[in-house]
Amino acid sequence: MESASIAAKLGGARWRLWALLPIAALVGVVALFVSTGSSLLDLVGHNPPPQDKVDIRRVEFHRGEIKLKVTNPQRDDLTIAAVSVDDAIVPYRIDGDRTLGRLRSATIVVAYDWVPDDPVKVGVTSSRGIETTKEIAAAVESPSASARGFLGYGVIGFLVGILPVALGLAWLPSLRRASPQWLAAFMALTAGLLTFLALEALSEAFSLQASLPSGIGGVGLILLGVASTYLFLTVLSRRFSRGEGVVGGVALATLVAVGIGLHNLGEGLAIGTSFALGELALGSFFVVGFMVHNVTEGLGIATPIAERGKVSLGRLAALALIAGAPAIPGAWLGGFVTSDVLGVLFFAGAAGAALEVVVEVGRYVARKAPGGLGSGYVLGGYLAGIAVMYVTGLLI
Amino acid sequence: MAKHFTRKQVLAGSLPFVAAAPLAKLAWPSAAQGGERSATHMGHDHAQMGHAAMIGAEVPAPGGPHAQDAALLPPKPLPHEPGRVREYDLTALDHSIEVAQGIHFDAWSYNGSVPGPIIRATEDDLLRVNFTNGGSHPHTIHFHGIHPGEMDGVFETVPPGASFTYEFPARPAGMHLYHCHATPLKKHIHKGLYGAFIVDPAKPRARARELVMVMNGYDTDGDGENNFYTVNGRAFYYAKYPIRVKKGELIRIYLANLTEFDLINSFHLHGEFFRYYPTGSTDHYEYTDTVMLCQGERGILEIEFNNTGVFMFHAHQSEFAELGWMGFFDVRD
Repeated sequence: MESASIAAKLGGARWRLWALLPIAALVGVVALFVSTGSSLLDLVGHNPPPQDKVDIRRVEFHRGEIKLKVTNPQRDDLTIAAVSVDDAIVPYRIDGDRTLGRLRSATIVVAYDWVPDDPVKVGVTSSRGIETTKEIAAAVESPSASARGFLGYGVIGFLVGILPVALGLAWLPSLRRASPQWLAAFMALTAGLLTFLALEALSEAFSLQASLPSGIGGVGLILLGVASTYLFLTVLSRRFSRGEGVVGGVALATLVAVGIGLHNLGEGLAIGTSFALGELALGSFFVVGFMVHNVTEGLGIATPIAERGKVSLGRLAALALIAGAPAIPGAWLGGFVTSDVLGVLFFAGAAGAALEVVVEVGRYVARKAPGGLGSGYVLGGYLAGIAVMYVTGLLI
Repeated sequence: MAKHFTRKQVLAGSLPFVAAAPLAKLAWPSAAQGGERSATHMGHDHAQMGHAAMIGAEVPAPGGPHAQDAALLPPKPLPHEPGRVREYDLTALDHSIEVAQGIHFDAWSYNGSVPGPIIRATEDDLLRVNFTNGGSHPHTIHFHGIHPGEMDGVFETVPPGASFTYEFPARPAGMHLYHCHATPLKKHIHKGLYGAFIVDPAKPRARARELVMVMNGYDTDGDGENNFYTVNGRAFYYAKYPIRVKKGELIRIYLANLTEFDLINSFHLHGEFFRYYPTGSTDHYEYTDTVMLCQGERGILEIEFNNTGVFMFHAHQSEFAELGWMGFFDVRD
């Protein structure tokens, strides 16, 4: 009340100036605190020494050499003083300064006769003698950014992304003949599989962020990713609904495709990264598993279209591309640059998008489906969607 | 559900499964080829790598060319003269030392170096060691050898700022060592409170080029395992600065193991054999090129090089060698 009376006394411009006061005061207090040096901290004790843990972001194996990309995740400077491979100190080259400021990165190159397929442990020791190690399950030649490697990852992305989605879309004619109850069941199935994808992506994001250095703040990164794609899709669906209050047909299919596309971006990244790090064998079984898993995604896109009129082949192809194509740039990013931070963001973004689409599909089913959300078809379809994803996921 | 699907639709539905198998092969062979290619090309660069090449100025070792002289070169032996007083001043200090190039370790040491100063006396000398504790923790000096119980460095703990004088006749002849015996013992030893203690026999040993080598390790990140191994305190030091010796001259090495955490350490010489006198206390020796010592074990090596050239010496635990415990003799005419 008091502030209201002050506001009344002040003019509009003055009131805006008043809003700057807390900021100015904060700057003053911070300056005062900094000027006391450590005397204030001495009241409660001493700061512990810096942890000096390096973030070994990426380990590449090239002919006759091992390349490490490292980042300093802590507030204090960190000086790289020694590099080891399998517990042996090795000579190394470093691009630029050995002392890294906060979040500064460097590339370390070690001339080394590594043995293909053997596990390798690399270590970086700071000037305070703290060693950070990273174990690579199996040393395999890292793909260099060649046209050949580009093509290879492109083909993989196509196989696990675009192709299965396109094939799943071929269920459209069958779906068109389904009764309204069954169509509602398939819509619910779509929601079920998207829920599964969201949870899967979220758990992937959480496990990735756990390996990030604490300075990078992985949980905040996840929330940022989830919130931004969720809100983006909310805006998109408001545009699509044009005041109808609920999105259906091709518009809903597009939303589903965007959600699935973001998921496939993360999936492509995960495949590219794991393969580049020698943690994954890209066997035919693996690729087939992914294809079977993703074919249901095509079904999810086809279902919202089924109850409305004709849709052009071009439109269908575009939907398949939206949903499947992101696997290709994902695989490229994972294979050639890999960054756990990017991985966390991608997976969190996928989770946010998939969750938003679940909400849209839920709204649609609640309004349009016979019997609404409570019908046996809908409940059964939803559970079936989760079960299908779970079972086909076991194949990978 | 079944009535809504015709046989044709089921076939269409199975299309992805059928199509997947041959398409997957597209991705698979290119990946496999990549692996094979790397395997066949690996061998070419081999000669430029490996630790055999780790010698000279490029080796990452801390300190200048004479930085370890005080640890390597013992004081001259004195003739037998019973009752003569040999006095040493030792001060325990807390300070940071560079144990490997660019890597600093918060050490506790005697007189500012790890290992501490070489203490040398002749049998029947009266050894007097004036010890001052300039560190921040209680310390002692425990000598190996024969002495009264109250001079053993176990019960007379010296608090920070205090002093104590150890005094006893030096015996028996041989290569011994000294170290702090305050608890926790493991901590006080691995922090660097130790050194070589030589007692010369009444009948002097043959004239020789004499060297002292104390083997140790450093756990720089406190995980209970050594990150670096050295002789005389600095990783890879004698790889950067090989020890120059003459072909045919008698070389006598006083060797001790003060490595903490690991059960044993060892010394292996390339291209030559040596006589190894365990503890240096008798005339019995073994003719060999490799000896193994547990912590506190020590002995005397006598070498005469038959050939000129550069000969490696190192721990024969390969891991220790590659973490700093290796060096070279540069044998010349």
